[in-house]
Amino acid sequence: MAEVKLPAWLKEARDAPCLADGKDSAPGFLEKNLEGIASFFGKMVYFEGYASKKGLLQAVEPRARILGVLALVLACVAASGVVALSGVFLVTLAIALLSKVGLSALIKRVLPSFLFTSVLLLPVFFSFVTPGEPIAGFMGIYVTRQGAGTAFFFISRVSLMASLVMLLLLTTRQTDFFRGLRQFLPAFFVTTLFMTFRYIFVLLKVAEDSTLARKSRTFAKGSLRESQDWFASRIALILKKSLSTAEEVSMAMASRGFNGKLDAIGPARMGKKDLLWVGLAWFVFFLSLGL
Amino acid sequence: MEKEIFTLEGAGFAYNGSFALRGISLTVKAGESVAILGANGSGKSTLLKMLDGLVFPSEGVVRFMGSELKEETLKGGFLKCFRERVGFVFPEPDVQLFCPTVFDEVAFGPLQLNLSKDGLKERVEGLLEMLGLSNLRDRPPYTLSSGEKKKVAIASVLSINPDVLLLDEPTNGLDPRTQVWLFEIMQGLKELKKTFIIATHDLSLVEDFAGRVILLDESHAIAADAATPKVLSDKDLLLRANIIHEHTHRHGGLTHRHSHGPYSTHDEHE
Repeated sequence: MAEVKLPAWLKEARDAPCLADGKDSAPGFLEKNLEGIASFFGKMVYFEGYASKKGLLQAVEPRARILGVLALVLACVAASGVVALSGVFLVTLAIALLSKVGLSALIKRVLPSFLFTSVLLLPVFFSFVTPGEPIAGFMGIYVTRQGAGTAFFFISRVSLMASLVMLLLLTTRQTDFFRGLRQFLPAFFVTTLFMTFRYIFVLLKVAEDSTLARKSRTFAKGSLRESQDWFASRIALILKKSLSTAEEVSMAMASRGFNGKLDAIGPARMGKKDLLWVGLAWFVFFLSLGL
Repeated sequence: MEKEIFTLEGAGFAYNGSFALRGISLTVKAGESVAILGANGSGKSTLLKMLDGLVFPSEGVVRFMGSELKEETLKGGFLKCFRERVGFVFPEPDVQLFCPTVFDEVAFGPLQLNLSKDGLKERVEGLLEMLGLSNLRDRPPYTLSSGEKKKVAIASVLSINPDVLLLDEPTNGLDPRTQVWLFEIMQGLKELKKTFIIATHDLSLVEDFAGRVILLDESHAIAADAATPKVLSDKDLLLRANIIHEHTHRHGGLTHRHSHGPYSTHDEHE
């Protein structure tokens, strides 16, 4: 191989010192949020702290856990009054405490759905959407008693349903959750869901590394156009990666004998405590219908 | 005496509650060629990212030419100076290449140096010529082979003429000819007193290129920091750090037990 000839500019040495200017500043908004999202998803997948604790939900077989939580979610949907919803709230609170799930951890995870629903329902508070008895107002726009009641009830219902689902996810290992789900949904659907979930994190790692790679090569303020181009190229990269990964996974499955039919090991029989849990949860559901 | 480029004092990095690196204390001087060796998951890549100011220590301190590298200080003039002087080649070239063509990719760094149009063109084309990439100048990087992508990734970093090169698994996935090509480029840059810090599993690269080895063990701490021959000749240390392995097999009536790696021997017969 011919000897490498290095250009003259590559031989230029820098002698000036490279010093921090002593001024501290906050990290960039986008950067901080990207890291936050990656860390949030990472925690969601890898954090199994509550699933390994000895508590009420953890003691129940995953299939029974899903059936029970489904009954309680349906109870939230069926609850038409404050009494029924408060009852489901108390049951949820008791389950959280008995399953040793910290309330602050639960609230932190439910908060996004609470905020999202609240923003969506904001207009419902006001007289132009829900006419009724005014309780507060400003410049001719009033919050009505009926509007506030409807919005609070709906927000509470959604938050409660999110809490129940979060309780299920926090106390169930990812593999157990999908194994449980397999008993109620077609195997093909659950396997596809599991693989989607699995590969989202592979692609998230690509996105995170891409951000770091750009950061390591950027030292001047770029133009908006340049940032847009970079963003578009990363979307293209992730699309390309997801297509090639799908093709490779499909070939790997074919090479291991996959013929379009998915068989699974049959579930273990539910024990007495599992049946008791399911029975109680569905009792709460039927109770909510009557209240 | 050569000036200190990086100084780490008890630096550690925790991710989701578990440590990827612990209590790392070391100094890298200008012109050194340092290899970071370690088993999978020992923290080699995290250490390189920390040296490139991409992640910041959750304990201890990392300094670049005397200034602390942290999220709050790596801004403005210091950020520009730091990024001009330190280049990082990622193990996966796809994440590093984001411009529409190979030419744009190599020009991305120099464009930020405010070079004249002619100076920029001369620099990029000279580099493409030197690295044998001229025929690919108008190709989109995603259409290239893995070896070509790696070459473009290296070109994109070299184009800003960094003083320090951080290379994460540089020979991974390269065919033998491209490995030799890369070695020759690195050797040429080493003669220009560039500082190299390489994370790798490639013991032959370490033996031929690096003057010093930092060995990370599976507890994510430094197990050894010494001259390359000293570390690579310590078979027990390499076995403990899971860099080489040992096995027993038979040749006819003779049973051998030996390690794998550049210092493997067939001297332990039964």
